[in-house]
Amino acid sequence: MNKNIKIITKYWDVADLKKIKNYESFGGYKALHKFIKDKNSDKFADEIKNSSLLGRGGAGFPTGDKLEAVAGSGEKERYFICNLDESEPGTYKDRAIVDNDPHKLIEGIIILSLIIGARKAFIYINGNYGKQEEILENALEEAYKKKYWGEKILKSDYNLEIGIFSGAGAYICGEETALINSIEGSRGEPKMRPPYPTEKGLFGKPTLVNNAETISNISWIVIYGGEEYAKIGSKNSPGTKLFVLGGAVKKPGVYELPLGVTIRELIFEIGGGLAKGKEFWFAQIGGSSGRLIMEKELDAKLEFGNKDFSIGSGAILVVDKTTNIYDLLLSWTGFFRRESCGKCVPCREGTFRLWEIAKRLQDGEISEADKKAVKDILWTLENTTFCPFGKFAAAAFRDAVEKLKILK
Amino acid sequence: MSKTIEKILLEFDPENISLLPALKKISAAFGHISEKDMQKVADYFEVPLSKAYETASFYDQVQIKKQPNLVIKVCSGANCAMNNSFAVIREIENYFKIKAGDEFNAKVKLEIISCLGQCGEGPIMVINNKVYNNVTQSSVHGILEKWL
Repeated sequence: MNKNIKIITKYWDVADLKKIKNYESFGGYKALHKFIKDKNSDKFADEIKNSSLLGRGGAGFPTGDKLEAVAGSGEKERYFICNLDESEPGTYKDRAIVDNDPHKLIEGIIILSLIIGARKAFIYINGNYGKQEEILENALEEAYKKKYWGEKILKSDYNLEIGIFSGAGAYICGEETALINSIEGSRGEPKMRPPYPTEKGLFGKPTLVNNAETISNISWIVIYGGEEYAKIGSKNSPGTKLFVLGGAVKKPGVYELPLGVTIRELIFEIGGGLAKGKEFWFAQIGGSSGRLIMEKELDAKLEFGNKDFSIGSGAILVVDKTTNIYDLLLSWTGFFRRESCGKCVPCREGTFRLWEIAKRLQDGEISEADKKAVKDILWTLENTTFCPFGKFAAAAFRDAVEKLKILK
Repeated sequence: MSKTIEKILLEFDPENISLLPALKKISAAFGHISEKDMQKVADYFEVPLSKAYETASFYDQVQIKKQPNLVIKVCSGANCAMNNSFAVIREIENYFKIKAGDEFNAKVKLEIISCLGQCGEGPIMVINNKVYNNVTQSSVHGILEKWL
Protein backbone atom coordinates (compact mmCIF):
# COMPACT_ATOMS: atom_id res chain seq x y z
CA MET A 1 0.00 0.00 0.00
CA ASN A 2 1.28 3.41 -0.93
CA LYS A 3 1.10 5.31 2.33
CA ASN A 4 2.24 8.54 0.75
CA ILE A 5 -0.75 9.32 -1.38
CA LYS A 6 -2.35 12.57 -0.25
CA ILE A 7 -5.65 13.94 -1.47
CA ILE A 8 -6.59 16.51 1.14
CA THR A 9 -3.30 17.51 2.74
CA LYS A 10 -1.04 17.45 -0.32
CA TYR A 11 -0.23 21.18 -0.44
CA TRP A 12 -0.86 22.11 3.21
CA ASP A 13 2.77 22.74 3.98
CA VAL A 14 3.71 24.07 0.55
CA ALA A 15 1.88 27.38 0.45
CA ASP A 16 -0.71 29.53 2.21
CA LEU A 17 -3.77 28.07 0.51
CA LYS A 18 -6.06 30.50 2.28
CA LYS A 19 -5.16 32.85 -0.57
CA ILE A 20 -7.26 31.91 -3.56
CA LYS A 21 -4.37 32.62 -5.96
CA ASN A 22 -2.20 30.00 -4.30
CA TYR A 23 -5.01 27.48 -4.27
CA GLU A 24 -5.61 28.06 -7.98
CA SER A 25 -1.92 27.74 -8.76
CA PHE A 26 -2.07 24.14 -7.47
CA GLY A 27 -5.02 23.27 -9.67
CA GLY A 28 -7.69 24.72 -7.39
CA TYR A 29 -11.18 25.32 -8.81
CA LYS A 30 -10.21 23.30 -11.90
CA ALA A 31 -12.77 20.71 -10.89
CA LEU A 32 -15.45 23.40 -10.81
CA HIS A 33 -14.39 24.65 -14.25
CA LYS A 34 -14.60 21.07 -15.50
CA PHE A 35 -18.07 20.65 -14.03
CA ILE A 36 -19.35 23.93 -15.50
CA LYS A 37 -17.89 23.06 -18.91
CA ASP A 38 -19.60 19.65 -19.00
CA LYS A 39 -22.86 20.73 -17.35
CA ASN A 40 -23.58 17.07 -16.82
CA SER A 41 -24.50 16.54 -13.20
CA ASP A 42 -25.52 12.90 -13.74
CA LYS A 43 -22.06 12.06 -14.98
CA PHE A 44 -20.37 13.51 -11.91
CA ALA A 45 -22.93 11.97 -9.59
CA ASP A 46 -21.93 8.63 -11.14
CA GLU A 47 -18.25 9.39 -10.64
CA ILE A 48 -18.86 10.00 -6.95
CA LYS A 49 -20.90 6.82 -6.72
CA ASN A 50 -18.15 4.86 -8.47
CA SER A 51 -15.58 6.25 -6.09
CA SER A 52 -17.42 4.41 -3.26
CA LEU A 53 -16.57 7.38 -1.03
CA LEU A 54 -17.93 6.82 2.47
CA GLY A 55 -19.03 9.64 4.76
CA ARG A 56 -16.14 10.81 6.91
CA GLY A 57 -18.22 12.17 9.77
CA GLY A 58 -18.18 8.83 11.52
CA ALA A 59 -21.03 6.72 10.23
CA GLY A 60 -19.40 5.84 6.90
CA PHE A 61 -22.56 5.97 4.81
CA PRO A 62 -21.96 5.89 1.02
CA THR A 63 -21.86 9.50 -0.16
CA GLY A 64 -23.01 8.55 -3.67
CA ASP A 65 -26.22 6.96 -2.38
CA LYS A 66 -27.14 9.99 -0.29
CA LEU A 67 -26.41 12.29 -3.20
CA GLU A 68 -28.47 10.19 -5.60
CA ALA A 69 -31.46 10.25 -3.24
CA VAL A 70 -31.51 14.06 -3.18
CA ALA A 71 -30.65 14.54 -6.86
CA GLY A 72 -33.43 12.18 -7.91
CA SER A 73 -36.04 13.83 -5.71
CA GLY A 74 -39.28 15.15 -7.18
CA GLU A 75 -39.08 18.34 -5.14
CA LYS A 76 -37.61 21.34 -6.85
CA GLU A 77 -36.29 23.11 -3.79
CA ARG A 78 -33.26 21.38 -2.25
CA TYR A 79 -30.53 22.26 0.19
CA PHE A 80 -26.94 21.35 0.76
CA ILE A 81 -25.34 21.48 4.21
CA CYS A 82 -21.66 21.13 5.02
CA ASN A 83 -21.40 19.60 8.47
CA LEU A 84 -18.53 21.37 10.21
CA ASP A 85 -19.94 21.01 13.71
CA GLU A 86 -16.92 19.02 14.73
CA SER A 87 -17.13 18.43 18.47
CA GLU A 88 -16.01 14.88 19.17
CA PRO A 89 -13.41 15.19 21.91
CA GLY A 90 -9.90 14.81 20.56
CA THR A 91 -10.97 15.54 16.99
CA TYR A 92 -9.84 18.61 15.09
CA LYS A 93 -9.45 17.36 11.53
CA ASP A 94 -12.18 19.54 10.02
CA ARG A 95 -10.73 22.55 11.78
CA ALA A 96 -7.38 21.65 10.23
CA ILE A 97 -8.99 21.56 6.78
CA VAL A 98 -10.34 25.07 7.22
CA ASP A 99 -7.08 26.34 8.71
CA ASN A 100 -5.03 24.94 5.85
CA ASP A 101 -7.18 24.68 2.76
CA PRO A 102 -10.58 26.38 3.02
CA HIS A 103 -11.02 26.66 -0.74
CA LYS A 104 -10.86 22.91 -1.26
CA LEU A 105 -13.84 22.65 1.05
CA ILE A 106 -15.69 25.49 -0.69
CA GLU A 107 -15.03 24.02 -4.13
CA GLY A 108 -16.48 20.70 -2.96
CA ILE A 109 -19.53 22.44 -1.48
CA ILE A 110 -20.20 24.26 -4.75
CA ILE A 111 -19.85 21.13 -6.90
CA LEU A 112 -22.04 18.97 -4.66
CA SER A 113 -24.69 21.68 -4.43
CA LEU A 114 -24.80 22.02 -8.20
CA ILE A 115 -24.96 18.25 -8.70
CA ILE A 116 -28.03 17.92 -6.49
CA GLY A 117 -29.60 21.10 -7.87
CA ALA A 118 -29.49 23.07 -4.64
CA ARG A 119 -29.59 26.85 -4.85
CA LYS A 120 -28.73 27.41 -1.25
CA ALA A 121 -25.92 25.83 0.73
CA PHE A 122 -25.08 26.19 4.42
CA ILE A 123 -21.88 25.62 6.29
CA TYR A 124 -22.86 24.60 9.82
CA ILE A 125 -19.78 25.38 11.87
CA ASN A 126 -19.00 24.56 15.51
CA GLY A 127 -19.83 27.64 17.61
CA ASN A 128 -16.37 27.53 19.20
CA TYR A 129 -14.61 27.81 15.85
CA GLY A 130 -14.63 31.62 15.66
CA LYS A 131 -11.29 31.87 13.92
CA GLN A 132 -12.26 29.27 11.34
CA GLU A 133 -15.53 31.08 10.68
CA GLU A 134 -13.50 34.15 9.82
CA ILE A 135 -11.21 32.18 7.50
CA LEU A 136 -14.25 30.77 5.70
CA GLU A 137 -15.89 34.20 5.41
CA ASN A 138 -12.76 35.58 3.76
CA ALA A 139 -12.40 32.58 1.47
CA LEU A 140 -16.05 32.76 0.47
CA GLU A 141 -15.67 36.43 -0.34
CA GLU A 142 -12.65 35.75 -2.56
CA ALA A 143 -14.44 32.91 -4.32
CA TYR A 144 -17.52 35.09 -4.81
CA LYS A 145 -15.45 37.79 -6.51
CA LYS A 146 -14.14 35.14 -8.88
CA LYS A 147 -17.72 34.14 -9.72
CA TYR A 148 -17.27 30.66 -8.28
CA TRP A 149 -20.58 31.06 -6.50
CA GLY A 150 -23.43 33.54 -6.58
CA GLU A 151 -25.44 34.38 -9.67
CA LYS A 152 -24.39 32.85 -12.98
CA ILE A 153 -21.41 30.85 -11.80
CA LEU A 154 -18.54 31.25 -14.31
CA LYS A 155 -21.03 32.75 -16.75
CA SER A 156 -23.19 29.62 -16.73
CA ASP A 157 -26.84 29.38 -15.76
CA TYR A 158 -26.00 27.94 -12.35
CA ASN A 159 -26.85 30.00 -9.27
CA LEU A 160 -25.84 29.21 -5.74
CA GLU A 161 -25.94 31.08 -2.47
CA ILE A 162 -23.68 29.98 0.38
CA GLY A 163 -24.20 30.98 4.01
CA ILE A 164 -22.40 30.20 7.24
CA PHE A 165 -24.46 29.08 10.23
CA SER A 166 -22.61 29.04 13.50
CA GLY A 167 -23.67 26.50 16.13
CA ALA A 168 -24.04 27.34 19.79
CA GLY A 169 -22.18 24.61 21.62
CA ALA A 170 -24.07 21.33 21.36
CA TYR A 171 -22.35 18.07 20.41
CA ILE A 172 -25.53 16.38 19.27
CA CYS A 173 -25.97 19.01 16.51
CA GLY A 174 -23.39 17.04 14.53
CA GLU A 175 -26.18 14.48 14.03
CA GLU A 176 -27.85 15.62 10.85
CA THR A 177 -31.48 15.78 11.94
CA ALA A 178 -30.46 17.66 15.10
CA LEU A 179 -28.35 19.98 12.99
CA ILE A 180 -31.34 20.76 10.79
CA ASN A 181 -33.51 21.46 13.86
CA SER A 182 -30.86 23.87 15.05
CA ILE A 183 -30.81 25.85 11.78
CA GLU A 184 -34.59 26.02 11.88
CA GLY A 185 -34.38 27.78 15.26
CA SER A 186 -35.33 24.82 17.47
CA ARG A 187 -33.62 22.71 20.10
CA GLY A 188 -30.90 20.61 18.56
CA GLU A 189 -32.59 17.32 19.26
CA PRO A 190 -32.53 14.45 16.76
CA LYS A 191 -35.70 13.65 14.82
CA MET A 192 -37.27 10.31 14.06
CA ARG A 193 -36.01 8.74 10.84
CA PRO A 194 -37.46 8.01 8.33
CA PRO A 195 -38.14 10.36 6.72
CA TYR A 196 -34.45 10.88 6.13
CA PRO A 197 -33.11 14.38 5.47
CA THR A 198 -32.51 13.33 1.87
CA GLU A 199 -36.29 13.17 1.60
CA LYS A 200 -37.52 15.76 4.13
CA GLY A 201 -34.66 17.80 5.51
CA LEU A 202 -34.18 21.51 6.02
CA PHE A 203 -37.56 23.32 5.92
CA GLY A 204 -39.07 19.98 4.89
CA LYS A 205 -37.13 19.90 1.63
CA PRO A 206 -34.65 17.27 0.40
CA THR A 207 -31.29 18.03 1.95
CA LEU A 208 -27.85 16.59 1.50
CA VAL A 209 -25.69 16.83 4.63
CA ASN A 210 -22.03 15.92 4.20
CA ASN A 211 -19.08 16.10 6.56
CA ALA A 212 -16.38 18.66 5.73
CA GLU A 213 -13.76 15.96 5.16
CA THR A 214 -16.04 14.04 2.80
CA ILE A 215 -16.58 17.21 0.80
CA SER A 216 -12.84 17.86 0.58
CA ASN A 217 -12.46 14.67 -1.50
CA ILE A 218 -14.89 15.81 -4.19
CA SER A 219 -12.64 18.03 -6.33
CA TRP A 220 -10.12 15.18 -6.59
CA ILE A 221 -12.82 12.74 -7.69
CA VAL A 222 -14.13 15.17 -10.30
CA ILE A 223 -10.66 15.63 -11.78
CA TYR A 224 -9.33 12.08 -11.65
CA GLY A 225 -12.56 10.08 -11.72
CA GLY A 226 -14.30 7.73 -9.33
CA GLU A 227 -12.50 4.60 -10.50
CA GLU A 228 -9.10 6.10 -9.72
CA TYR A 229 -10.32 7.06 -6.26
CA ALA A 230 -11.62 3.57 -5.61
CA LYS A 231 -8.10 2.19 -6.16
CA ILE A 232 -6.75 4.07 -3.15
CA GLY A 233 -6.95 2.60 0.32
CA SER A 234 -8.66 -0.64 1.19
CA LYS A 235 -11.11 -2.49 -1.00
CA ASN A 236 -14.23 -1.95 1.06
CA SER A 237 -13.48 1.56 2.15
CA PRO A 238 -11.47 3.42 -0.45
CA GLY A 239 -9.65 6.69 -0.23
CA THR A 240 -7.62 8.40 2.42
CA LYS A 241 -8.70 9.50 5.87
CA LEU A 242 -7.55 12.18 8.23
CA PHE A 243 -6.51 10.68 11.55
CA VAL A 244 -6.00 12.80 14.62
CA LEU A 245 -3.35 11.26 16.81
CA GLY A 246 -3.25 12.33 20.43
CA GLY A 247 -2.31 11.26 23.93
CA ALA A 248 1.00 9.71 24.85
CA VAL A 249 2.55 9.61 21.36
CA LYS A 250 5.75 11.35 20.33
CA LYS A 251 4.27 13.20 17.38
CA PRO A 252 0.60 14.07 17.91
CA GLY A 253 -1.23 15.76 15.05
CA VAL A 254 -3.40 15.34 11.96
CA TYR A 255 -2.22 12.74 9.46
CA GLU A 256 -3.72 11.75 6.12
CA LEU A 257 -3.36 8.04 5.35
CA PRO A 258 -5.05 5.56 3.08
CA LEU A 259 -7.82 3.62 4.79
CA GLY A 260 -6.68 0.13 5.68
CA VAL A 261 -3.56 1.27 7.50
CA THR A 262 -3.18 -0.63 10.78
CA ILE A 263 -3.45 0.99 14.18
CA ARG A 264 0.09 -0.18 14.92
CA GLU A 265 1.48 1.52 11.81
CA LEU A 266 -0.29 4.75 12.65
CA ILE A 267 0.89 4.89 16.25
CA PHE A 268 4.38 3.47 15.94
CA GLU A 269 5.51 4.46 12.43
CA ILE A 270 3.65 7.66 11.71
CA GLY A 271 3.30 8.90 15.27
CA GLY A 272 6.82 7.83 16.26
CA GLY A 273 5.61 5.52 19.02
CA LEU A 274 5.16 6.49 22.63
CA ALA A 275 6.87 9.40 24.28
CA LYS A 276 10.06 8.59 26.15
CA GLY A 277 9.66 6.46 29.21
CA LYS A 278 6.01 5.64 28.51
CA GLU A 279 4.60 2.19 28.01
CA PHE A 280 1.61 1.44 25.76
CA TRP A 281 -1.58 0.43 27.58
CA PHE A 282 -4.42 0.84 25.09
CA ALA A 283 -5.66 3.07 22.30
CA GLN A 284 -9.11 4.58 21.94
CA ILE A 285 -10.35 4.74 18.36
CA GLY A 286 -12.83 7.42 17.28
CA GLY A 287 -13.05 9.91 20.13
CA SER A 288 -14.97 9.65 23.41
CA SER A 289 -17.40 7.18 21.88
CA GLY A 290 -14.57 4.96 20.66
CA ARG A 291 -13.71 1.39 21.59
CA LEU A 292 -10.55 0.54 23.48
CA ILE A 293 -7.92 -1.45 21.58
CA MET A 294 -5.34 -3.48 23.47
CA GLU A 295 -1.78 -4.29 22.41
CA LYS A 296 -2.69 -7.64 20.84
CA GLU A 297 -5.36 -6.01 18.63
CA LEU A 298 -3.11 -3.31 17.19
CA ASP A 299 -2.77 -4.99 13.81
CA ALA A 300 -6.43 -4.34 13.07
CA LYS A 301 -7.04 -2.20 10.02
CA LEU A 302 -8.43 1.29 10.26
CA GLU A 303 -11.29 1.18 7.78
CA PHE A 304 -15.05 1.57 7.67
CA GLY A 305 -17.24 -1.47 8.12
CA ASN A 306 -14.92 -3.06 10.66
CA LYS A 307 -16.94 -5.41 12.88
CA ASP A 308 -14.99 -4.89 16.09
CA PHE A 309 -14.73 -1.13 16.24
CA SER A 310 -15.77 1.97 14.36
CA ILE A 311 -13.11 4.44 13.27
CA GLY A 312 -15.65 7.18 13.96
CA SER A 313 -14.23 10.63 13.49
CA GLY A 314 -10.70 9.26 13.08
CA ALA A 315 -9.38 10.41 16.44
CA ILE A 316 -6.89 8.01 18.01
CA LEU A 317 -6.01 8.49 21.65
CA VAL A 318 -2.93 6.63 22.82
CA VAL A 319 -3.01 5.85 26.52
CA ASP A 320 0.06 4.80 28.47
CA LYS A 321 0.28 2.86 31.70
CA THR A 322 0.86 5.88 33.92
CA THR A 323 -2.57 7.28 33.03
CA ASN A 324 -5.19 7.35 35.75
CA ILE A 325 -8.03 5.36 34.18
CA TYR A 326 -10.55 6.92 36.58
CA ASP A 327 -9.73 10.37 35.19
CA LEU A 328 -10.49 9.05 31.72
CA LEU A 329 -13.74 7.43 32.84
CA LEU A 330 -14.79 10.71 34.39
CA SER A 331 -13.80 12.51 31.20
CA TRP A 332 -15.91 10.21 29.01
CA THR A 333 -18.95 9.97 31.27
CA GLY A 334 -18.87 13.69 32.11
CA PHE A 335 -18.86 14.49 28.43
CA PHE A 336 -21.85 12.29 27.64
CA ARG A 337 -23.78 13.51 30.66
CA ARG A 338 -23.33 17.12 29.57
CA GLU A 339 -24.10 16.50 25.93
CA SER A 340 -27.05 14.13 26.25
CA CYS A 341 -29.85 16.22 24.77
CA GLY A 342 -32.45 15.00 27.24
CA LYS A 343 -35.01 13.94 24.68
CA CYS A 344 -35.20 10.30 25.80
CA VAL A 345 -35.08 9.00 29.36
CA PRO A 346 -32.63 6.07 29.01
CA CYS A 347 -29.95 8.37 27.67
CA ARG A 348 -30.62 11.31 29.97
CA GLU A 349 -30.69 9.14 33.10
CA GLY A 350 -28.19 6.55 31.93
CA THR A 351 -25.45 9.02 31.16
CA PHE A 352 -26.09 10.79 34.48
CA ARG A 353 -25.91 7.62 36.58
CA LEU A 354 -22.82 6.39 34.78
CA TRP A 355 -21.13 9.72 35.51
CA GLU A 356 -22.09 9.48 39.19
CA ILE A 357 -20.59 6.00 39.37
CA ALA A 358 -17.44 7.22 37.62
CA LYS A 359 -17.11 9.89 40.32
CA ARG A 360 -17.48 7.26 43.05
CA LEU A 361 -14.92 5.09 41.29
CA GLN A 362 -12.47 7.95 41.39
CA ASP A 363 -13.16 8.54 45.07
CA GLY A 364 -12.71 4.83 45.76
CA GLU A 365 -16.26 4.47 47.10
CA ILE A 366 -17.66 2.01 44.60
CA SER A 367 -20.17 -0.43 46.06
CA GLU A 368 -21.46 -3.84 44.95
CA ALA A 369 -24.76 -2.19 44.03
CA ASP A 370 -22.89 0.19 41.75
CA LYS A 371 -21.14 -2.68 40.02
CA LYS A 372 -24.46 -4.34 39.34
CA ALA A 373 -26.00 -1.06 38.21
CA VAL A 374 -23.21 -0.52 35.70
CA LYS A 375 -24.28 -3.64 33.84
CA ASP A 376 -27.92 -2.53 33.70
CA ILE A 377 -27.09 1.01 32.68
CA LEU A 378 -24.75 -0.08 29.91
CA TRP A 379 -27.32 -2.51 28.53
CA THR A 380 -30.01 0.17 28.62
CA LEU A 381 -27.83 2.72 26.87
CA GLU A 382 -26.85 0.21 24.20
CA ASN A 383 -30.33 -1.03 23.46
CA THR A 384 -33.03 1.48 24.26
CA THR A 385 -32.01 5.04 23.38
CA PHE A 386 -33.66 7.09 20.65
CA CYS A 387 -30.49 7.84 18.71
CA PRO A 388 -27.00 6.26 18.60
CA PHE A 389 -25.76 8.64 21.30
CA GLY A 390 -26.60 6.04 23.95
CA LYS A 391 -24.45 3.40 22.28
CA PHE A 392 -21.63 5.92 22.02
CA ALA A 393 -21.90 6.71 25.71
CA ALA A 394 -21.63 3.04 26.65
CA ALA A 395 -18.84 1.88 24.32
CA ALA A 396 -15.69 2.98 26.13
CA PHE A 397 -17.10 2.25 29.57
CA ARG A 398 -18.01 -1.30 28.54
CA ASP A 399 -14.52 -1.89 27.21
CA ALA A 400 -13.04 -0.50 30.40
CA VAL A 401 -15.13 -3.00 32.35
CA GLU A 402 -14.41 -5.98 30.09
CA LYS A 403 -10.89 -5.35 28.87
CA LEU A 404 -9.36 -3.26 31.65
CA LYS A 405 -11.35 -4.96 34.46
CA ILE A 406 -11.94 -1.68 36.29
CA LEU A 407 -14.60 -3.19 38.53
CA LYS A 408 -12.57 -6.14 39.76
CA MET B 1 -29.76 48.82 27.31
CA SER B 2 -33.20 48.23 25.85
CA LYS B 3 -32.24 50.39 22.91
CA THR B 4 -29.37 48.12 22.06
CA ILE B 5 -31.31 44.90 22.10
CA GLU B 6 -33.68 46.35 19.55
CA LYS B 7 -30.70 47.36 17.47
CA ILE B 8 -29.34 43.82 17.61
CA LEU B 9 -32.69 42.35 16.67
CA LEU B 10 -32.96 44.60 13.64
CA GLU B 11 -29.78 43.04 12.26
CA PHE B 12 -31.77 39.85 11.73
CA ASP B 13 -34.68 38.96 9.50
CA PRO B 14 -37.59 37.92 11.72
CA GLU B 15 -37.46 34.33 10.48
CA ASN B 16 -36.91 31.11 12.42
CA ILE B 17 -33.51 30.58 10.82
CA SER B 18 -32.26 33.75 12.52
CA LEU B 19 -33.60 32.89 15.98
CA LEU B 20 -30.54 31.04 17.28
CA PRO B 21 -28.02 33.51 15.78
CA ALA B 22 -29.97 36.38 17.38
CA LEU B 23 -30.14 34.64 20.77
CA LYS B 24 -26.40 34.01 20.62
CA LYS B 25 -25.61 37.58 19.79
CA ILE B 26 -27.82 39.05 22.52
CA SER B 27 -26.45 36.64 25.11
CA ALA B 28 -22.89 37.56 24.14
CA ALA B 29 -23.66 41.29 24.24
CA PHE B 30 -25.33 41.36 27.67
CA GLY B 31 -23.84 38.28 29.32
CA HIS B 32 -27.27 36.66 29.48
CA ILE B 33 -30.81 37.16 28.22
CA SER B 34 -33.24 38.49 30.84
CA GLU B 35 -36.91 37.57 30.76
CA LYS B 36 -37.76 41.07 29.61
CA ASP B 37 -35.35 40.78 26.72
CA MET B 38 -36.54 37.30 25.91
CA GLN B 39 -40.07 38.67 25.54
CA LYS B 40 -38.72 41.19 23.04
CA VAL B 41 -37.04 38.39 21.11
CA ALA B 42 -40.27 36.39 21.11
CA ASP B 43 -42.27 39.40 19.92
CA TYR B 44 -39.79 40.20 17.19
CA PHE B 45 -39.76 36.66 15.83
CA GLU B 46 -43.49 36.28 16.43
CA VAL B 47 -43.09 33.13 18.48
CA PRO B 48 -44.43 32.37 21.98
CA LEU B 49 -42.11 33.20 24.87
CA SER B 50 -41.98 29.48 25.65
CA LYS B 51 -40.59 28.74 22.20
CA ALA B 52 -37.84 31.34 22.60
CA TYR B 53 -36.92 29.77 25.96
CA GLU B 54 -37.20 26.28 24.54
CA THR B 55 -34.52 27.03 21.98
CA ALA B 56 -32.37 29.25 24.20
CA SER B 57 -32.16 26.81 27.08
CA PHE B 58 -30.69 24.07 24.88
CA TYR B 59 -27.47 25.75 23.86
CA ASP B 60 -24.33 26.30 25.92
CA GLN B 61 -23.58 29.59 24.22
CA VAL B 62 -26.91 31.13 25.12
CA GLN B 63 -27.24 32.09 28.79
CA ILE B 64 -30.65 32.61 30.33
CA LYS B 65 -29.39 33.30 33.85
CA LYS B 66 -27.21 36.14 35.02
CA GLN B 67 -23.63 34.90 35.08
CA PRO B 68 -21.09 35.55 37.85
CA ASN B 69 -18.30 38.04 37.10
CA LEU B 70 -15.81 35.24 36.91
CA VAL B 71 -16.67 32.20 34.81
CA ILE B 72 -13.91 29.61 34.71
CA LYS B 73 -14.09 26.66 32.37
CA VAL B 74 -11.68 23.76 32.31
CA CYS B 75 -11.62 21.13 29.59
CA SER B 76 -11.87 17.52 30.66
CA GLY B 77 -11.67 15.96 27.20
CA ALA B 78 -9.57 12.79 27.13
CA ASN B 79 -6.42 14.57 25.95
CA CYS B 80 -6.68 17.20 28.69
CA ALA B 81 -7.66 14.54 31.25
CA MET B 82 -4.48 12.64 30.42
CA ASN B 83 -2.56 15.82 31.16
CA ASN B 84 -4.09 16.14 34.62
CA SER B 85 -6.92 18.56 34.01
CA PHE B 86 -8.80 17.03 36.94
CA ALA B 87 -5.96 18.05 39.24
CA VAL B 88 -6.34 21.60 37.91
CA ILE B 89 -10.08 21.43 38.55
CA ARG B 90 -9.55 20.27 42.15
CA GLU B 91 -7.03 23.06 42.66
CA ILE B 92 -9.54 25.70 41.53
CA GLU B 93 -12.27 24.13 43.68
CA ASN B 94 -10.04 24.40 46.74
CA TYR B 95 -8.90 27.90 45.86
CA PHE B 96 -12.41 29.35 45.72
CA LYS B 97 -14.03 26.77 48.03
CA ILE B 98 -16.56 25.91 45.32
CA LYS B 99 -17.56 22.76 43.45
CA ALA B 100 -17.46 22.46 39.69
CA GLY B 101 -20.96 22.82 38.26
CA ASP B 102 -22.46 24.51 41.35
CA GLU B 103 -24.12 27.89 41.08
CA PHE B 104 -24.16 28.86 44.76
CA ASN B 105 -21.43 31.47 44.55
CA ALA B 106 -22.63 34.70 42.97
CA LYS B 107 -19.13 35.86 42.11
CA VAL B 108 -17.43 32.85 40.60
CA LYS B 109 -18.46 29.73 38.74
CA LEU B 110 -16.40 26.74 37.66
CA GLU B 111 -17.58 24.65 34.75
CA ILE B 112 -16.15 21.49 33.31
CA ILE B 113 -16.33 21.65 29.55
CA SER B 114 -15.60 19.36 26.65
CA CYS B 115 -13.13 19.59 23.86
CA LEU B 116 -12.53 22.92 22.14
CA GLY B 117 -10.34 21.24 19.55
CA GLN B 118 -7.04 22.44 21.00
CA CYS B 119 -6.02 19.01 22.20
CA GLY B 120 -2.30 19.40 21.60
CA GLU B 121 -2.00 22.13 24.21
CA GLY B 122 -4.02 20.84 27.11
CA PRO B 123 -5.13 21.23 29.79
CA ILE B 124 -7.15 24.11 28.42
CA MET B 125 -8.70 26.66 30.76
CA VAL B 126 -11.01 29.48 29.71
CA ILE B 127 -11.65 32.47 31.98
CA ASN B 128 -14.34 34.88 30.73
CA ASN B 129 -13.51 33.83 27.15
CA LYS B 130 -9.75 34.16 27.49
CA VAL B 131 -8.07 30.85 26.67
CA TYR B 132 -5.09 29.49 28.62
CA ASN B 133 -3.04 26.51 27.38
CA ASN B 134 -0.93 23.96 29.21
CA VAL B 135 -2.31 24.91 32.60
CA THR B 136 -0.85 22.99 35.52
CA GLN B 137 -1.77 22.50 39.14
CA SER B 138 0.89 25.02 40.15
CA SER B 139 0.54 27.55 37.32
CA VAL B 140 -3.21 27.92 37.84
CA HIS B 141 -2.78 30.06 40.97
CA GLY B 142 -0.87 32.77 39.16
CA ILE B 143 -3.51 32.93 36.44
CA LEU B 144 -6.41 33.14 38.89
CA GLU B 145 -4.77 35.92 40.87
CA LYS B 146 -4.69 38.13 37.78
CA TRP B 147 -8.48 37.99 37.64
CA LEU B 148 -9.17 38.92 41.24
